[in-house]
Amino acid sequence: MTNAKTQGIPAISGEQPSVEGVSSHAAGMTQQLSTVLPDLDVAAVNKVAEKPVIIFDHVSKVYPAQPKKPALDDINLKICKGEFVFLVGHSGSGKSTFIRSIIRELKPSSGKIIIMGEDLASMRNSRVPFLRRNIGCVFQDFKLLPNKTVFENVAFALEVIGKSRHVIKTQVPEVLRLVGLQDKLDKYPDQLSGGEQQRVSIARAIVNRPPLLVCDEPTGNLDPQTSAGIMDLLVRINRSGTTVLVATHDREVVNKMRRRVIVLEKGVVIRDQDGGVYGVE
Amino acid sequence: MEVYTALNSIVYFIREAFKGFFRNRATALGSVITIFLSLLILGVFSVGAVVVGNVVDSVESKVSITAYVADDAKEKQIQKVESYIEGLDGVASVSFTTKDQALENFKKSMTSNPDIVEQLDGQNPLPASIDVELSEAQEVTAIAEKIAENEDFQKICDNPDDPAESLKYGQKTVDKLFALTNYVRYIGIALIGLLMFIALIFILNNIRLSILARRKEIAIMRLVGASNGFIRGPFSVEGMLHAFVGAVLAIGSLQAMRMLALPKLQSALPWLPINVDGSTYLLIYLLLLVAGLLLGLLGSAWAMGRYLKI
Repeated sequence: MTNAKTQGIPAISGEQPSVEGVSSHAAGMTQQLSTVLPDLDVAAVNKVAEKPVIIFDHVSKVYPAQPKKPALDDINLKICKGEFVFLVGHSGSGKSTFIRSIIRELKPSSGKIIIMGEDLASMRNSRVPFLRRNIGCVFQDFKLLPNKTVFENVAFALEVIGKSRHVIKTQVPEVLRLVGLQDKLDKYPDQLSGGEQQRVSIARAIVNRPPLLVCDEPTGNLDPQTSAGIMDLLVRINRSGTTVLVATHDREVVNKMRRRVIVLEKGVVIRDQDGGVYGVE
Repeated sequence: MEVYTALNSIVYFIREAFKGFFRNRATALGSVITIFLSLLILGVFSVGAVVVGNVVDSVESKVSITAYVADDAKEKQIQKVESYIEGLDGVASVSFTTKDQALENFKKSMTSNPDIVEQLDGQNPLPASIDVELSEAQEVTAIAEKIAENEDFQKICDNPDDPAESLKYGQKTVDKLFALTNYVRYIGIALIGLLMFIALIFILNNIRLSILARRKEIAIMRLVGASNGFIRGPFSVEGMLHAFVGAVLAIGSLQAMRMLALPKLQSALPWLPINVDGSTYLLIYLLLLVAGLLLGLLGSAWAMGRYLKI
């Protein structure tokens, strides 16, 4: 498995220009270098000029089952275009509630969530599918359809939003090449390793080229080495201009990457730091 | 492009609907059979209603008014009344039955029961009458009222206290027929309603199974932003598919009855006007199809409301 991946990565890098352009790639490189120095973050400088993709404005969420323990408690934050952000915290700290609020699977009890300029509270239900077309989603459990091949799983995401067969035939192989699975189009999910399955689910999330990619514990089921491969992939996606938000409790991954880290505890943001580390005990 | 994708979606809906249909064959059969039965009964009752309508028409066309005349009425007075009635709109012909003729008619109708005639003991209790044939059966009540109000008739009528009582006409028969058919209709509606409700439950259950079988796909569809209509499409089509199969079976059975059973029934009951023209049948078949499709849509909408939260 490790073998397959180390082979996969160079192959992927070779394909980079076909994705989104070389200049952003280069910018990404400087960005990554600079993150070694915590207080001089290039991403932070870029961010000021950019429009925020996600705005949380005094957002609270209280589940009826636990009226005294808010899952989110007065959250205020902005995530800008092109950022790569970790959302960390223990189980039950509100990470998943945060993620599910962004795709409007949940409505906050109070406060305002604005995603790409649209206020989710006032958004009509019929608009929600169009919101979700602009947000790629990746989950811990991959959510692949076992009776469909890799190609069909990714194609499904385009089929159900009414893309033509022509678009599917060109975009699906391209995105599968990007995630390094160009040789496994006809395999079924249970013939793949966990890391490969997660790559399929990432491919499905980005095949429609959403400006925002949201991942809920993407490496939760994977060993450290495979996790690193997945993170590499997410970084490359981020370099092409996609805003990436990763909820995780994988300390190793967060500490190695030195990106913006938002720490949630009991529904409260206790730290929001550029180039940060995991840092919770 | 728009047309292409719309067409694509429809093809997808139909394909998924068929998958769902065959995945739950056993329950699908149940819902198809209940839809079939309820539509068949609806169809039979519709044809029956048309036949009853024909019967009522034919009874009405034979409606006549008999105006009984007192024994001591003078011929001149009778003629005066006759010419008055002849002048009324909707009257076809007027004839006179004397007391003797009335007795003869009575004896003829009682040939199986001669005792009754013997007990008359040579007397004749039957009144003479003016018989009025109508050309417009619907007008029977109005014409009867006009005759009853006629002063000349009031002088010679059999029952001077209440001239209307001296008039007999077929309206009562028609009313009785209507009352009977109404009962039958109510029973039919109740039966059809019950069967349709059962069919609805069957469809509900089937669509529920299909939704459960596809819940993973549905979750992903929601995630990647498939529109609500797109997610619902296959289930609506599946509901309609059940209904369509049921309706086709019902229409086929009805057509078979029409071709095979009705001619036999007609030769057994030649007086019954069973013949219903083809366009009426077409209309009934269309009704069954529409009712079925509505049933299917309703059932799947119900299931989606309960089991498919979007």
